[in-house]
Amino acid sequence: MSATPEESPGREEKPFLWVTRPLATAAKQFVKSLWRPSTVVYPFERLEDPKFRGEVAVASGKPIGVGEIWDNYRGVHALNINTCISCNLCAFSCPDVCIEMVTVPGGDPKHPKKCPQIDYGKCSFCGFCSDACPEGCLSMTTRYELSVHKREEMVYSPARMFEVYKSKLPMNPIRVERPANEDQILLDPPICIGCNACSRDCPTQCITMLDIAKPTAKPGEKLPKRIWKEPVINDSDCVRCGTCISVCPKDCLFWGTRQ
Amino acid sequence: MSNVSLYSVAYTLSSVLLGALAHLFPAPIHGWLISGTVVTALAAVIFAAILLLASMLNTILLIWYERKLLGRFMDRRGAMHVGYAGLLQNFADGLKLFRKDTVRPGQADPLGFWLSPTAYMVTSLVIFGLLPISTGWNGGSLPLTLLLALVIFSFAPLFIFLGAWASNNKYSLIGGMRSAAQMIAYEVPILLAVVAVVVLAGTFDLNTIVLEQRNYWFWAPLFLALIVFLTGMLAEMERIPFDLPEAEAELVEGWNTEYGGMLFAFFMLADYLRALVGSILVVLLFLGGWTLPSYVPAALTSFPLAGIVWFMVKTYLVFGLFVWVRASLPRIRTDQLLRLGWMRMVPLALLSVLLAALVVLSHCLPLIGCVPSMGG
Amino acid sequence: MTEMWVNMGPQHPMTHGLWNLRVRIEGEIIKDVEPEMGYLHRGIEKISEDRHYNEIITLMDRTCYVAGLSWEHLFIVAAEQALHVTPPERAEYIRVMSAELQRIASHLMWYSAFVQDLGLMTPFLYGMRDRDLILDLFQSYTGGRLTYEYMRVGGVRSDLPLGFTQRCRQVVDWLMDRFVEYDQLCLSSTIFHERCDGLGVLLEPEAVAYGVTGPMLRSAGSRRDLRKDRPYSVYDQVQFDVATATTADVTGRYLVRMEEMRQSVRIVRQCLDWLDDHPGPVMADHLPRWLGAPYAPMGNESYLLKRNYPTGVGLSMIEEPHGEAGAYVVNDGGEHPYRVKFRSPVLINIWAAKRYLPGYRVADIPPIMGSVDVCVGECDR
Repeated sequence: MSATPEESPGREEKPFLWVTRPLATAAKQFVKSLWRPSTVVYPFERLEDPKFRGEVAVASGKPIGVGEIWDNYRGVHALNINTCISCNLCAFSCPDVCIEMVTVPGGDPKHPKKCPQIDYGKCSFCGFCSDACPEGCLSMTTRYELSVHKREEMVYSPARMFEVYKSKLPMNPIRVERPANEDQILLDPPICIGCNACSRDCPTQCITMLDIAKPTAKPGEKLPKRIWKEPVINDSDCVRCGTCISVCPKDCLFWGTRQ
Repeated sequence: MSNVSLYSVAYTLSSVLLGALAHLFPAPIHGWLISGTVVTALAAVIFAAILLLASMLNTILLIWYERKLLGRFMDRRGAMHVGYAGLLQNFADGLKLFRKDTVRPGQADPLGFWLSPTAYMVTSLVIFGLLPISTGWNGGSLPLTLLLALVIFSFAPLFIFLGAWASNNKYSLIGGMRSAAQMIAYEVPILLAVVAVVVLAGTFDLNTIVLEQRNYWFWAPLFLALIVFLTGMLAEMERIPFDLPEAEAELVEGWNTEYGGMLFAFFMLADYLRALVGSILVVLLFLGGWTLPSYVPAALTSFPLAGIVWFMVKTYLVFGLFVWVRASLPRIRTDQLLRLGWMRMVPLALLSVLLAALVVLSHCLPLIGCVPSMGG
Repeated sequence: MTEMWVNMGPQHPMTHGLWNLRVRIEGEIIKDVEPEMGYLHRGIEKISEDRHYNEIITLMDRTCYVAGLSWEHLFIVAAEQALHVTPPERAEYIRVMSAELQRIASHLMWYSAFVQDLGLMTPFLYGMRDRDLILDLFQSYTGGRLTYEYMRVGGVRSDLPLGFTQRCRQVVDWLMDRFVEYDQLCLSSTIFHERCDGLGVLLEPEAVAYGVTGPMLRSAGSRRDLRKDRPYSVYDQVQFDVATATTADVTGRYLVRMEEMRQSVRIVRQCLDWLDDHPGPVMADHLPRWLGAPYAPMGNESYLLKRNYPTGVGLSMIEEPHGEAGAYVVNDGGEHPYRVKFRSPVLINIWAAKRYLPGYRVADIPPIMGSVDVCVGECDR
């Protein structure tokens, strides 16, 4: 139970005069922080205040604050209802399942407009939803004060997030790098029945149903009962939300790379 | 220096009050009320009330002072929102603690559990009454005030041990045992350091000790004793390098783990009261009490209550020293404290006793007097 | 006094988390100890089996809440191995830089807590103050201060913002000065040496036998450091020294961690230089849809069958701030991993307390256990 006799390199700094060095160090800091300690007096000062933004050096010589790059903070979401295309990607990407798509006014009765509603009681602020948003309408702001009195108030409806958007808080400018060569939505033609569901529900209207030639039935062969149309996806407009895949009644759409 | 003494203030107050009160009553009661016995009795009560108020106010101010000072050592601000610069924060904290329910663990011994905080508090208050703040500003001048104060001062570990044992908690028990062990370490060096002062001053009376320092403050010839006394006081007050009994890292809160609410507030207040008393003792014994060096302009020493003001300034500076130490040193272990006490501090204290004796014997006071002339 | 068992935990200032150290003491002497872990078990390995690979990243930040990026790195290395994805080099450099900054932050956290266990509050605030600067840096490019969610399969979430490298250099320069101050407060104090020298000695053979890793092992004179012995990411392209001490005690661990912080600063500076000179993508070129950053409904089972993604197994071993962490990821071709297993260094390091605690005093428990650097989150997972 005894230490090995060898001296480690740091041991050279053996104390001399017992405890005077730490006393001197503490006194040095005392003098430095007499004028202004590095405390940020939170409710009255905030790290995002302009005075902490630049190269601020306080009396103790410490650069505090994060400089001009505070805006990347992942705080409360801001939602621009006007540009939301109801693609559902945010709700799908949420690892905590705290996003629910709720109907907002503005859509037609057959095709209601849905926008995300976030329950901050569950949200972990991972930012996957704003990363996933193809239109950039759901983004995270620098607001971090979320205290409420009731649990229900933790749920932010789209209208409330629109309020956040309109308050012009600094938005998280990070745009996620997406793989350059992403998977596309492909069609498995023989299964398709031409039901128009994908085209109807596509948030970006990038699916058009094109007529295909109706094959002539050979004797004894029964033609499948279907509408003789097939979806064609405009790849540059597609946001890869997968809505078409999930609404397809025949599971004939899938992800893949066109060879 | 003013010649008003605390007792005369209390006596005047008492006679004025009773005189006003006596007018309301017919002759026999009137006469009895303004008789010497009653006036003296009320004067004693007022006297005690003033002392209590002064000690409590000072204690709370001391906590605030420590919080602010410690904050600056740690590059932060300390209490700052309640009252000006957080001055009222401790009153708020105290109020909160006093409003809280006091919970006694089921298996704890009731008598010891209640007795020990009370006794801890009371003994600390008694010492405060004994120490002269300025000429005449103390509870009474006995020939052996210093000895009495030190005796009462060293009662504390007994009450700590009593409370620790009574609260029936393993952490408390270990803390109490450490407190007892710690006492063995620091009492002897402290007393030896005091002996050095007594040898130099030739008396146990604190008033006289201060008056003896009119030529030079005792810290200069007795520097070693001052170091020993400061270290011992740190241990006596259980402040951070030596706060092993309540080492919160391993023993949660040590001996007061089971105490909450008002009883905890008692312990806390008494702790700081003891810190105040310790600082006062240092000032009285080594730093010339309420006197100032003769080269200080008279304007600074002649305003009313100048003695008390300078005394408190010195006391707070000494306490600031303790805070500084707290901000920069880690806690040591019981066995190390014992080793420090017996193998370092006792020889140093003995050496300083020898030095004091030499100073007295060689009648070299004028010679030494030129060395500490900065002290008077 | 007769012997008695004392529970130090689960709610105790010494534990720094939620675990229990049962100590059998006789007077002040420790006779036996029995660590009890598991209070913070959240089943992260099991939850991981039901999540997308990228979603597991959010769990990694919570596995070790003082070294989130290190654990993200750990998982990502294993997952990329299992999924046959190669990240671009710039992403690897960013990861290494993040992991080293995280090491500094974690060690600062350790320093704060450890010295506070000794009864000294001042370095606690100094350490936390300086750790905040690193958190500011993290916030500026990941967006989070504690849970970063930054690394992704195939790269990292986003590139560094403009001006980051310059600011980061300022911060590490400033930190290098502070390390001197830390040593002045601790190493130059006699009391610190009184409290720490020769405590909690765990010699190298015993440490190896117990599986103790990290600074605890290196303080016993071993030169085992996975960044050198089994380089991952781009650790084979940066220069640094392995910090060691020979005393195998608390002071030795202090020295090792302090030196590691200095070496980390060295690595961070090299990474910053490289990153300045080599702009480029930070995300792999081609990723299957289900591995890309935003997720979408996968569709149906027929897709999973059609996809025909190669299966694989990933094993990563990483020198995490607390020691050697390991991750084992089995990819069965599905969108979730089939099995995820983590090896936590802290679990082993705590368990060896049975060896290095008995014989010392109760007052020695905080410094010794503090020098282990306990993070219960990763210990219990």
